[in-house]
Amino acid sequence: MAEEKQPSRFKRQKMVDDRDNPYLAHIYEDEQHDSGVSLSGDSSTNGHLNGSTSNGNGPALKRHATTAKQAKVAEDGPTNFFSGGHLSERYFGILKKRRDLPVHAQRQEFLDMYQKSQILVFVGETGSGKTTQIPQFVLFDDLPQQQGKMVACTQPRRVAAMSVAQRVAQEMDVTLGEEVGYSIRFEDMTGPKTILKYMTDGMLLREAMNDHDLTRYSTIILDEAHERTLATDILMGLLKEVVKRRPDLKLIIMSATLDAQKFQKYFMNAPLLAVPGRTHPVEIFYTPEPERDYVEAALRTVLQIHATEPEGDILLFLTGEEEIEDACRKINLEGDEMVREADAGPLKVYPLYGTLPPAQQQRIFDPAPPPFKPGGRPGRKCIVSTNIAETSLTIDGIVYVVDPGFSKQKVYNPRIRVESLLVSPISKASAQQRAGRAGRTRPGKCFRLYTEGAFKKELIDQSYPEILRSNLASTVLELKKLGIDDLVHFDLMDPPAPETLMRALEELNYLACLDDEGELTNMGKLASEFPLDPALAVMLIASPEFYCSNEILSLTALLSVPQLFVRPASARKRADEMKDLFAHADGDHLTMLNVYHAFKAPSAQENAKQWCHDHFLSFRALQQADNVRLQLKRIMERSEIELVSTPFTDKKYYENIRRALVAGFFMQVAKKDSSNKTYTTVKDNQSVLLHPSTVLGQDSEWVVYNEFVLTSKNYIRTVTGVKPEWLLEIAPQYYDLEGFSKGDIKTSLLRVQQKVQRRAQINGGR
Amino acid sequence: MGGDGEDEDDYLSMSFTEQPATPKETSLQRTTRLKKEAAERGRVLSKKELAEKERTQREAALATQLDASNKGAKMMAMMGFKGGALGKSGDARTQPIELLIKNDRGGIGMDSEKKRKVRETAEAMQGLEKKRKVDEAGFRERSRNEREERRAEGMMWSAMRTLEAFETAAPGDEEAGEASRDTHDEKLPPVKSINVLWRPVVKQRQDRDRERRMRYDLDQSLSRKPDYDDLNAETEDRLGFSDEVQETVEDDPELEAFESLTFAERLARVVEFLREKYHYCFWCKYRYPDADMEGCPGLTEDEHG
Repeated sequence: MAEEKQPSRFKRQKMVDDRDNPYLAHIYEDEQHDSGVSLSGDSSTNGHLNGSTSNGNGPALKRHATTAKQAKVAEDGPTNFFSGGHLSERYFGILKKRRDLPVHAQRQEFLDMYQKSQILVFVGETGSGKTTQIPQFVLFDDLPQQQGKMVACTQPRRVAAMSVAQRVAQEMDVTLGEEVGYSIRFEDMTGPKTILKYMTDGMLLREAMNDHDLTRYSTIILDEAHERTLATDILMGLLKEVVKRRPDLKLIIMSATLDAQKFQKYFMNAPLLAVPGRTHPVEIFYTPEPERDYVEAALRTVLQIHATEPEGDILLFLTGEEEIEDACRKINLEGDEMVREADAGPLKVYPLYGTLPPAQQQRIFDPAPPPFKPGGRPGRKCIVSTNIAETSLTIDGIVYVVDPGFSKQKVYNPRIRVESLLVSPISKASAQQRAGRAGRTRPGKCFRLYTEGAFKKELIDQSYPEILRSNLASTVLELKKLGIDDLVHFDLMDPPAPETLMRALEELNYLACLDDEGELTNMGKLASEFPLDPALAVMLIASPEFYCSNEILSLTALLSVPQLFVRPASARKRADEMKDLFAHADGDHLTMLNVYHAFKAPSAQENAKQWCHDHFLSFRALQQADNVRLQLKRIMERSEIELVSTPFTDKKYYENIRRALVAGFFMQVAKKDSSNKTYTTVKDNQSVLLHPSTVLGQDSEWVVYNEFVLTSKNYIRTVTGVKPEWLLEIAPQYYDLEGFSKGDIKTSLLRVQQKVQRRAQINGGR
Repeated sequence: MGGDGEDEDDYLSMSFTEQPATPKETSLQRTTRLKKEAAERGRVLSKKELAEKERTQREAALATQLDASNKGAKMMAMMGFKGGALGKSGDARTQPIELLIKNDRGGIGMDSEKKRKVRETAEAMQGLEKKRKVDEAGFRERSRNEREERRAEGMMWSAMRTLEAFETAAPGDEEAGEASRDTHDEKLPPVKSINVLWRPVVKQRQDRDRERRMRYDLDQSLSRKPDYDDLNAETEDRLGFSDEVQETVEDDPELEAFESLTFAERLARVVEFLREKYHYCFWCKYRYPDADMEGCPGLTEDEHG
């Protein structure tokens, strides 16, 4: 068939026998059937494959020609088909439940299509079991162990990759990290035996950078494709090319929504298989008038449901942590009052958002509270969540959904170069998804806090894919590394606006990652090794020049994890006092570094968790930063980037760090306006304020910032003071004053330039 | 300076162009100017002003498309980008997604509801405005008409009086008119027998006289003592009034038909009658000796300029 074209020569040569070749399998068909004892005829030659030789009475499965019945026999054991171990009690318990899942009914249909077609679009609503079952269906037919390959299943979120892998390892009765593993940024939980790998889509993309044809995989499953994350979109564009080069590679696109035609069309009219979810009808209610305050309206609706509706839990969608915590407090207060005054049943309220510690996230699965007395009004739980409960998390027992119609969405505009989270209206597809959450256990109700007219007229059909809402600098770098040179005509499902690409190329050029012809430079190649934003990567790579690569390494790790400082509403003052202990007057970056150093001190490490708690720091974030640091350090060592430090006693210790910051973040600089508290960003000319959380003294005229936060006010967050002469010296191309528009910033920089020149003359004249 | 093509005139043009447009500012002026500028720069802006500045700067930046001078644009051109959209099919978006910042907690549809209300109010206002405009035009028209009518009426009365003078002073003697006025009460022929063309004048005069008489009677009755019981007299008065009212209301179809015409038409009739019978032109204010009326430009006012 396609032997000549197949690029993975190396791996193929390892195989001793043509029997190993799936495309020649038909020649040996009879033989395999006769043998009966082996899996598919390859087992005698390939020792490391478990289950094949040890499983004496296992069924004979022929790759890409198995049936659901055969798979059932294999699953029934008594020995583990893949590991050869003895199957446990628990395994059979789970197996029984698995066979009740909606996807199971269509296993044969799935296999037929999978075997026939190279690309398959699979639609299954949340709860159909597709994420856990389909990869296992594939395993029993693709038999990747025979090829020395793997099946990959991508997930948009790290947590999902981890938890699903764990679940599937259980279902298959194997140890996590052996046959079934996961791979996420900064954490690889796979081994030589791994045949099924759950991974973030971003991780698969990184792998593609070094292995353009993804030769390690025999089947790739892109799960939750409807979420249209940046990495999934790029992977789709990439895989569309790869499947042409690799006819042996199978591709499954899995989506939870029924807009799958778009995927089919994009993938050359690939066949579609849809599995209905287990859903009940959901009645939808609209408000007669637009709401003046959607939060208030949401609280009112929740309480009304609790007061009047029959048993069933409530799911309320709000936009962010603060809003959610606030709403939870209010619902709790009002709920208590209802219990006292109106004889209502007990009401438990749980928040749910991404940055919530896992233990607290887990509480949403607690059962609803029982009535106060037997036969009393039923208890209820109410979950107040961001849109993570929209598709990725399934909570049973939800009967009522309250949907105000908003979510926080990332937006990027290349004209002001701001990537920020903004509260925006959801799409019709999202609204339907939300409503669907009410019908998981029994018929439910969805209360939309907007009019039917507004639903029809104001909501867009589909949410904008992430690629249209992101800064593409790191994506462009990745694409370059993936060997895609014509970025303009790269076949994406939804190509971004040209200006977005323009900005990305420009930024990479200033960062010296791309040359003027758009070719990857050595710096660019090096930067692409790091799973970081290009600015951070460049800062890290440049840091040895400033004698502080150890410190910048720590700082980069700290900037890659969620918020370090904990500031609970109940103890804000105390938290701020604790933060002041670490404060460095020159800025937040240095303060973060102080925190890290204190955390690593032996006294703190004695009981790190307690120490973090006492100092209002996130133990999880610091731990994570530690791990990230380790991973990055390995890459640095591999890339032969020196790890050096300026002695702490040297007066240039902090100055060097600040100068290194400029090397990466010279495009994120703001200058203080002459009299006001406001700053103006360089080149983009945006009026901004320092985020209230900053420790920076007000006298810093020039600052670099890590983040531009767009809310009702423009804020720059995580700022550190720098000197203007550093800007001119370290990033002369960006600070070519010729191109600056007239104004305060240009005047000031010109003055600095003259001063520097004068000084140079004096020094030179000496 | 020497770059001018017209070398001959050079010395002249030079002397003009080289001249500084404004006298050099003195150091004192300069100091005040700089101070003023610095003060403006140093002025602490209010929160509102700051927010406004933030917003305008953002909007200005958002409205500015990246142009070909951008380094990225040059690199894209090298990749074969010729404008339009990215991608294979070329039907993708060309503009970045609009940035909308939500500053309140208004629900979905609240903004458009507000906008709709604003628009409706604006439309309602516009409607009023339009109506008022229509009214204005109508008012001008109407007032012009009214003015013209008033003028026509005045002329009509004057023409009628002229005719009356001719008719009553048949022999052509001036005093006769005067006499007739004095005597009309006594020896007046019945109103109906008078030429309808000047009957209104007589009628008006009679009405006025009656009114005068009544007022006189009223004055008389008021001068009586209030305690004086004169119910009879009152009844009589009342009867008298009603009688007279009856009299005036008395049918006069000829007059009614005449009065249903517009003032201008009535005027035209009277003027015509004067010409025919008395060879008098109302516009020339002259009685011609014969029917030819030589020297009179014509029948209408317009013809008299």
